[in-house]
Amino acid sequence: MKIAVCAKQIPDPAIEISYEKGHIKRPEEQVLDDTDRYGIELALQLKEKFDAEVTILSMGPKGTLKGVQQALQMGADKAMIVSDENLSGANSLTTSNVLSELAKLSEADLIILGTESTDGYSGTVPQQISRYLNLDCISYVKAVEVNSEKVILTRQTIEGSEKVDMPDKCVISVTAGGVEPRYPNFKDIMAAKSKSIQEIPLNNLNLTAKNNLKFIDIEEVESSKNGQKVIDDGEAHKFIIEKLKELKIL
Amino acid sequence: MKALIISEVIDGKLGLGSLEIISKVRNLNIEFQLVTVGVDDVPTIGSDSFKQTYLKRSSNSLQYNKVADYINNIIQNEQVNLVLASSTYQCRDIISFLSVDFNSSPVSNVIDFSIENHKVQTVNSINGGNQLYKTEVDSEVSFLLIRPKSFEAVDIELNSNYISIDVEDGITKIYDIHKEEKKGPQLEDSKVVVSAGRGMVDVSNLSIINELASKLNAAVGGTRAIVDAGWMPYSQQVGQTGKTVKPDLYIACGISGATQHQVGMKDSKFIIAINKDEEAPIFQISDLGIVGDTLNILPKLIESI
Ligand SMILES: Cc1cc2nc3c(=O)[nH]c(=O)nc-3n(C[C@H](O)[C@H](O)[C@H](O)COP(=O)(O)OP(=O)(O)OC[C@H]3O[C@@H](n4cnc5c(N)ncnc54)[C@H](O)[C@@H]3O)c2cc1C
Repeated sequence: MKIAVCAKQIPDPAIEISYEKGHIKRPEEQVLDDTDRYGIELALQLKEKFDAEVTILSMGPKGTLKGVQQALQMGADKAMIVSDENLSGANSLTTSNVLSELAKLSEADLIILGTESTDGYSGTVPQQISRYLNLDCISYVKAVEVNSEKVILTRQTIEGSEKVDMPDKCVISVTAGGVEPRYPNFKDIMAAKSKSIQEIPLNNLNLTAKNNLKFIDIEEVESSKNGQKVIDDGEAHKFIIEKLKELKIL
Repeated sequence: MKALIISEVIDGKLGLGSLEIISKVRNLNIEFQLVTVGVDDVPTIGSDSFKQTYLKRSSNSLQYNKVADYINNIIQNEQVNLVLASSTYQCRDIISFLSVDFNSSPVSNVIDFSIENHKVQTVNSINGGNQLYKTEVDSEVSFLLIRPKSFEAVDIELNSNYISIDVEDGITKIYDIHKEEKKGPQLEDSKVVVSAGRGMVDVSNLSIINELASKLNAAVGGTRAIVDAGWMPYSQQVGQTGKTVKPDLYIACGISGATQHQVGMKDSKFIIAINKDEEAPIFQISDLGIVGDTLNILPKLIESI
């Protein structure tokens, strides 16, 4: 079995995102989006059961490749990346188009992703990839049970949850908390250094998506309130009571 | 401009998000119709004031691909050029599928939109609401996913005036459907919300939150940190990947105020925050900030109500 996991390199999420001409500024050193760790973990659990090969697919500026390395350190076997200036600020459809082309090249049966990236969070890429590849999309998977006969995926729904048996070929999106991502140990980190990272030229892919979203501008809004602040000396609850009365909640 | 609003039907009712979108579309004087998706046999979701197609799916088959195929036909036959849906799970799936069909990238997390010179312009809230990002959509068919609570919902008289179509089963079977029990005030429509974060220290202390909420007739919410930790079901998560709330009063107990949390609650009319860290970002958006220990303050507060 072949599994592909889409993983994104993002700017350090602890730092506020900044924009240039409407595009997220991407420093040389980008890290693996934590959201993708769930997808990689699921792939590794399936690999343990089915003896699969796990390929990381990533699109974006290469930079130091730290994020891709982090994905390989977790235990993925190899990576395929597309890095082209023309893709800077790509919309979700273009991203999905490129990633589904990579998925075809990887010959993956299963394509696994997080539900949305931390920096862009459009939340549409897994579903778009499934449509490009004409596969079922098992979206919002929040629990996974691997037993001797099959893999059972629990989907989050608006009303609660539901289960499906994992099809042989499909796209899966995993929510945070769906699985517990592993931490690589020293051996894994060393092993990752010799894993293959293959760069695929954009020209080799059938890119049909267009740049239909035009940036207009970014407007600053004053949203900071900095209201009254009270340091508790044992009586601060009285301020709350007062407010509750003022707001006619009490 | 001709719009199509996609809505799910839950417990025989129109999704709240679609009622919000209808009000916006009416304000802009855009001609529109609905396509709804649900499992009920004959829900009361129709209206004499707009056309609607109800796609009835079966609860035990994954059919969103097929649902999208039907909607694809409607878009073409009715010459729709603006497709709108609330960013719910189902609608995210459906809009994503359609965006591939029509080769038109959708705009996600939209909080407002307008039509300028026959083009759709959208507004997104970024960096925890400190900035508004504006986009123009240059497509024959534009797809927008709208954040819930972006517009005031309309109140419409509903009947059974719609066309109903049964959607055929997909390949993947669904089983073990679990409905989370809904008890007490719900996050979406409560005037008061009491929310907990990791600063409640232990899951057992959520009893304090529940007691406060019941005294204030409030709904209970939480951060993703505690939902991921299993303290609360996902349905109670407030924020970017959870629910958006706009109550009269939001009480944040032991919540740091990460931008992803703020997105879901910062438009509450009045915000009270309790946090022991004076520098916690939640205080920047609070009307009343109490610097102190939740476990000391909340019991005293409950006592004095
Ligand atoms: C893509 C993405 C989507 C996300 N979506 C969401 C979302 O929808 N909703 C959401 O909430 N988060 C979301 N997050 C997570 C978010 O970034 C934060 O990690 C999360 O909101 C933090 O939750 P918290 O405030 O409970 O925990 P922490 O950030 O750990 O904060 C706990 C706070 O409690 C205070 N505290 C500790 N002990 C006490 C005490 N005894 N008394 C008083 N105060 C105390 C601390 O000072 C601290 O400020 C998302 C993250 C990502 C990357």
